[in-house]
Amino acid sequence: MKRVAATAAALAAMAGAAGADPPAPRRFAVGVELSAALGPDDHGFFNYTSYEDSTLRLARLSLTGEWHVADRVALLGEVRDENLGPPRVYALYARVRPWLDRAFDVQAGLIPPVFGAFARRRYGSDNPLIGYPLAYQYLTSIRSDAVPGTVRDLVVTRGAGWRVRYPFGWGNPDPEPGLPLVNALRWDTGVEVHLGTGPVEASLAVTQGTLANPRVHDDNGGKQLSGRVAWKPVVGLVLGVSGARGEYLSRDVESALPAENRDYNAQQAWGLDVEYSRDRWILRSEAIWSRWQTPMLDRSLGAVGLTAEARCKLRPGLYAAARVDHLGFAHVDGPAGPVTWDAPVWRVETGVGYVPVRHVLVKLAYQNNRRDGGRVPKQTLVTTQLVLWF
Amino acid sequence: MRAARLPLLALTLAVGTAAPRLAQAAASIRGRVEVMREPPAAAARPTIGELSMPSPRDLPNRRRSVVYLEAAPQGAFEEHEGRAVMDQRHETFVPYVLAITVGTTVDFTNSDSTYTNVFSLSKPRRFDLGRYAAGQSKAVRFDRPGVVRVFCEIHSHMSAFILVFNHRFYATTDADGRYRIDNVPPGAYTIVAWNDGEARETRTVRVPEEGGVVEQDFVVR
Repeated sequence: MKRVAATAAALAAMAGAAGADPPAPRRFAVGVELSAALGPDDHGFFNYTSYEDSTLRLARLSLTGEWHVADRVALLGEVRDENLGPPRVYALYARVRPWLDRAFDVQAGLIPPVFGAFARRRYGSDNPLIGYPLAYQYLTSIRSDAVPGTVRDLVVTRGAGWRVRYPFGWGNPDPEPGLPLVNALRWDTGVEVHLGTGPVEASLAVTQGTLANPRVHDDNGGKQLSGRVAWKPVVGLVLGVSGARGEYLSRDVESALPAENRDYNAQQAWGLDVEYSRDRWILRSEAIWSRWQTPMLDRSLGAVGLTAEARCKLRPGLYAAARVDHLGFAHVDGPAGPVTWDAPVWRVETGVGYVPVRHVLVKLAYQNNRRDGGRVPKQTLVTTQLVLWF
Repeated sequence: MRAARLPLLALTLAVGTAAPRLAQAAASIRGRVEVMREPPAAAARPTIGELSMPSPRDLPNRRRSVVYLEAAPQGAFEEHEGRAVMDQRHETFVPYVLAITVGTTVDFTNSDSTYTNVFSLSKPRRFDLGRYAAGQSKAVRFDRPGVVRVFCEIHSHMSAFILVFNHRFYATTDADGRYRIDNVPPGAYTIVAWNDGEARETRTVRVPEEGGVVEQDFVVR
């Protein structure tokens, strides 16, 4: 974390010193968001995150800050506290625009992800529902610190991603949470560039971790390259294409593997996202294809996450929203024949949100989960959430 | 919220039964409102999730004030079928403060290059115009007196005030802080200077029978 702060500060200082413009007025913006979700026990672990919290039973205090050191330099950060645990730095980076008249920006530090669309949204106030999309939260049976020794080793963990252990695997033998396709609960560390403000924008990032396992400290010497191109053909419509590739296995598990298997360790992902808004409606959809190379199985494990979401304003201060979600997995040849390597999941979440006064949002959501495997194959959860922000 | 309630009450009670009647020999009340306090900065949230510097945007002129008679002359109640415009330019509502009479329809034009939204949760007029593109305009009629706070759902730093009166004895200050309320009948009035939803200064003025010009300055702190 110290290295992140030092890098961000150094970049800010360099850009500030290089500028010949007169010093800009110092501007500082602070934001606070408090959200508290109250729901029943999620004993199927459908909503658990890599921090071992359920998004439906989550109290979060988020403090954000943005300091415009100069016209071309800003420092940004966010600190979160969840369920009264230790505060965590969620974002800490410098944003630099080297040429004020060109739409070219560099961000360095603990940075927002360029891949997809959901992970850059504010959780409480920009998420019309309470749960996360499956692709951004649901824990699969892939781990970064352990690999299955056989296909059988893998399929016995189907539907148990919140606590994965490979009996005959390599690496850490203790049960630990698995990885989502894309982790929206943490941001990655590195450098990204962004070009354009018009109908076409492009972003490219080099980071320490991967989509599934963003990191502050590099744990394997490999870097992830990720990018996104967004096109706005008409006002209100955004189409995005994303891609990412990086090494997701830690150095500890790599060193335990036979030498010939160590380089087969990448997560590769592609994403499509679309958002259309008009009048009272916002429609959003994302598709994410991810593949993890799995050394001892000598094959990559594919997964696809599909999400479609709609929000409609019913009257001033009142909206209804719905999200349909699916997480599917590729087939492998299991002991009893072809089977998906993890249990497919379907989720439907509907809800309403009410804004009694500005800066206050109350949500009520109904979530139905189905899973083709695991100890709890289906679960219905009714949750309420209070969001305060300013 | 508390700050908005005070003028709301004042505006709602604007037709006072004990107030002077309309008379032929009308006068003008004029003066200057000096805003001594530094209006708070627009509440923009940090752009943590953005991948680039936010586009430069205009800052609203928060020094404009509205001066009005708290109790208007008896019989002065009027409904005005007119129209007014509140534009959206560079992610700013223009004007930041709009004073209108009950019955006025406000056109919310969008001169920005992006989608925009206009909504209000204020009791005198709750509305949400949805999202609409540049070049389009949507209208809202205001039928109840009071203070209406206007926001944009997409750009959290955008806000504005619409003050709806049920009489015509009000004025918005110009760039120098000057105002002028014409055709005020003789009598004693409570006159209010309102600024940015939070500051409210009250004075008593007497308009003589022979008419003329009455000077009344304000200092808003």
